[in-house]
Amino acid sequence: MSAATRQRRRAHEDRYATWTGATRPYDLVKEAVVAIGAMALLATLLTIVFSSPDERPSTVAQWARTQPVDFVATASAELGGTSDTAGYGPPYNHAATGQVIGPIQLQKWAGVSHPIDTARDFVIDPLQTITNDPALNAALAAYEAASPKQQAAWNAAYAHAVERATAHGTTVTVPDAGAAGPVAPMMASLLSLAQSGGLDGALLTSRNFYQTDYTKPLLFMADGSLLSDRAEAQHLLGDQWGMMNETGSYPGQVWLWLYTFWYQIEPFRSSENADALVWALMALLSLAFICIPFIPGVRDIPRRIPLYRLIWREHYRGGA
Amino acid sequence: MPPAVLAALVDLHRPAHVVHWHFFQMSVANVVVIVLMLLVFVLAIVLPFPGARRPS
Amino acid sequence: MSADRMWTTRVRERAVGALPPEKLLPDRQPAYVASWIYVFGVLTLAALVVILASGVVLGLKGPAWWHLTGIGRFFNGIHLWAVELFFFCMVIHLWGKFWMAAWRGGRARTWVSGAVTFLVGVGAAFTGYLSQQNFDSQWISTQAKDGLNSVGIGAFFNVTNFGQMYTFHVLLLPTVVLGLVVWHILLVRRHGVVPPFTRAALAASNAEEES
Repeated sequence: MSAATRQRRRAHEDRYATWTGATRPYDLVKEAVVAIGAMALLATLLTIVFSSPDERPSTVAQWARTQPVDFVATASAELGGTSDTAGYGPPYNHAATGQVIGPIQLQKWAGVSHPIDTARDFVIDPLQTITNDPALNAALAAYEAASPKQQAAWNAAYAHAVERATAHGTTVTVPDAGAAGPVAPMMASLLSLAQSGGLDGALLTSRNFYQTDYTKPLLFMADGSLLSDRAEAQHLLGDQWGMMNETGSYPGQVWLWLYTFWYQIEPFRSSENADALVWALMALLSLAFICIPFIPGVRDIPRRIPLYRLIWREHYRGGA
Repeated sequence: MPPAVLAALVDLHRPAHVVHWHFFQMSVANVVVIVLMLLVFVLAIVLPFPGARRPS
Repeated sequence: MSADRMWTTRVRERAVGALPPEKLLPDRQPAYVASWIYVFGVLTLAALVVILASGVVLGLKGPAWWHLTGIGRFFNGIHLWAVELFFFCMVIHLWGKFWMAAWRGGRARTWVSGAVTFLVGVGAAFTGYLSQQNFDSQWISTQAKDGLNSVGIGAFFNVTNFGQMYTFHVLLLPTVVLGLVVWHILLVRRHGVVPPFTRAALAASNAEEES
């Protein structure tokens, strides 16, 4: 852009800086008070008519009672290190490097800030809180004393056996679990602990009496099917554009429409780095949105598509 | 459970109805919100504003 | 120390110079401010006031209250619907301001502060959904963690940590939103509402493009 053009553009800008034309009386404070009253009334009316959603949270106890096979299958994956959380990578562990944007490995660089050892935190430590069970103590001792190779063999055998497991009410029968060694009685005890409600507590308050961090019970449940089954029924899954939705028939976070849109199309849909790529794209678009006044072309759209003539029609009729 | 006297007049706790269009799907509630926004935007521009013809 | 070199004096004179009382609380407005589209800024602000008031009530009674009583559920409803109204009005306000090219005449910071408020507002609403302590919070947190972890943010902002999310929601983010809104409104008072396009300026812009 030449210096003359820059000067001309600045002159236009300065012309719009201050209005020296006609004015009329305006009660700013009254307008604000009326607006607050109107919004309060509208919010109240909407609440009276529609109320608000409140689906009760799931507990590990409910999960273990209603989906006992899924529970033991997930628990054995946690012990064996094959669950989603066990293989997640940062910020929970070093099992994977995480998602990348080309050469940029933000997930890895941020590090393991919330370490979780799924075998210890979800299975072994809670089981060790059970007293007066010599058989369980023996199983735990045998498992902890075994070599990693032996442990892996037991876990693999149990994972294979649990594929044919059946449930009768809250009881699970895992056929041919002999090759799984101490893992089978460990899983049976963990199921029992979970169904009694003890595992919810053990996962939450194992280190402190007071706790506000629900990461462990949530990650454990999310590795299973209970939460996603509930979510699917409520149209909350990713491929159901779930990010925008709410439980029941309530409107959700409609403003997330563009964020969820990218997940529905290629290349994001089938990419292993979908989350990182979508985040990077949305960060870029958000920056562009903030900087619209500085982007040539985009900032000229309102001038080129003259909706303003409709907005200011009275002003233009009066002779500008 | 909250007492019945404060229960909603319209029960929105039922599972949502969903609008499907090609690969696009959205809950009816969200569609209503978006359509309302567009409608209110158009009305806000088009409806005459009182006092518009009386500048001093 | 002479008065004109004191920091206090300088700050006061700059502030009063930028926003004298009649500019801070004017009783006249440009005649072209004559469309219903202009009320959506104040409606957004009004919705924010209702959000904050209902939020204070919910905060005073603690995060579990609204699950336990009808009146708690009622205030939760007010809070939720005020949030829906807030975004509803804010987006319409945004659309209006875009089509008016409201950043003209040195008003770029007004647009910038508004756009940032929208984005921080999305974040504030998000932490609100996480603070509900129901199935919605469980699902949203276990899903959102993947997005945030993938870009390293999850290492510092743990969505499954209720205590952290609640603190962000009731204190940190409302403070940022309020600060941004105050800045935005002061900028509007300082620079005024953007005037309509003038024929002369439009002609000049068109000539510039053709050359």
